[in-house]
Amino acid sequence: MSRLDPTVKKETAYAALWVTALSLIMEAVFLIGDWWTPAVLLGNMAGAVTAVLNYLLLGITVAKAVSGPAEKAPLKVRSSMTARLLGQAAVVAVAIGVFHTNVYATLLPLLFPRIGIAFRPMIDRKRGKTAVEPEGSDLLD
Amino acid sequence: MVELAMGIMLGLCGVGAGIALIAGIGPGIGEGQAVAAACEAIGRQPEAKSDVTSTMVMGCAIAETTGLYGLIIGILLIFVAPGIYSGVLRDTVAALK
Repeated sequence: MSRLDPTVKKETAYAALWVTALSLIMEAVFLIGDWWTPAVLLGNMAGAVTAVLNYLLLGITVAKAVSGPAEKAPLKVRSSMTARLLGQAAVVAVAIGVFHTNVYATLLPLLFPRIGIAFRPMIDRKRGKTAVEPEGSDLLD
Repeated sequence: MVELAMGIMLGLCGVGAGIALIAGIGPGIGEGQAVAAACEAIGRQPEAKSDVTSTMVMGCAIAETTGLYGLIIGILLIFVAPGIYSGVLRDTVAALK
């Protein structure tokens, strides 16, 4: 089995951190609002694990696709995206339909990695990181 | 009559969920094109592979959110909407009687 790309590892860890933090906030909101039940925790866990696993699989797919020929990349990514979306739908449907988890607590964590990405430029700016500029971009200034 | 209305409502919820999941097609095509362009970029500048991969993962995750919105709407239409709408229907029928 080939080892995981360090970039994918780093990105997944970042997404997992955000999912965990936002899941804790969501649990706190449910507790404060007096809506908390074990179904909320179970749904949150199912949604969070699905979101992080989806992000990891996305990273693995992208890392594999960019290492291969450009002609094969679109098909690889498209088929992976379809499989991952259907997988997420299946996991969420089973969690809600069979294990009777809270619908909102199961669905919301799926969007948490996206919220983490939205804050990424701000964090990078604080760390002093800048985007990679293509060669010769200074000529445009 | 109420049963018919309930049946139509449940059927339309299912159709709506199916239509919402069509949103999953677009991001897949877009992601594919973006990754193909990334492959070419890495071919030109192999030393930028790590940065390109990192940007691509984030870009693909953002693109996928559109599909996820569709998925969430579909799941809500299947699991939540029928309960709400049947309650509204029952209340309306009770008010008319």
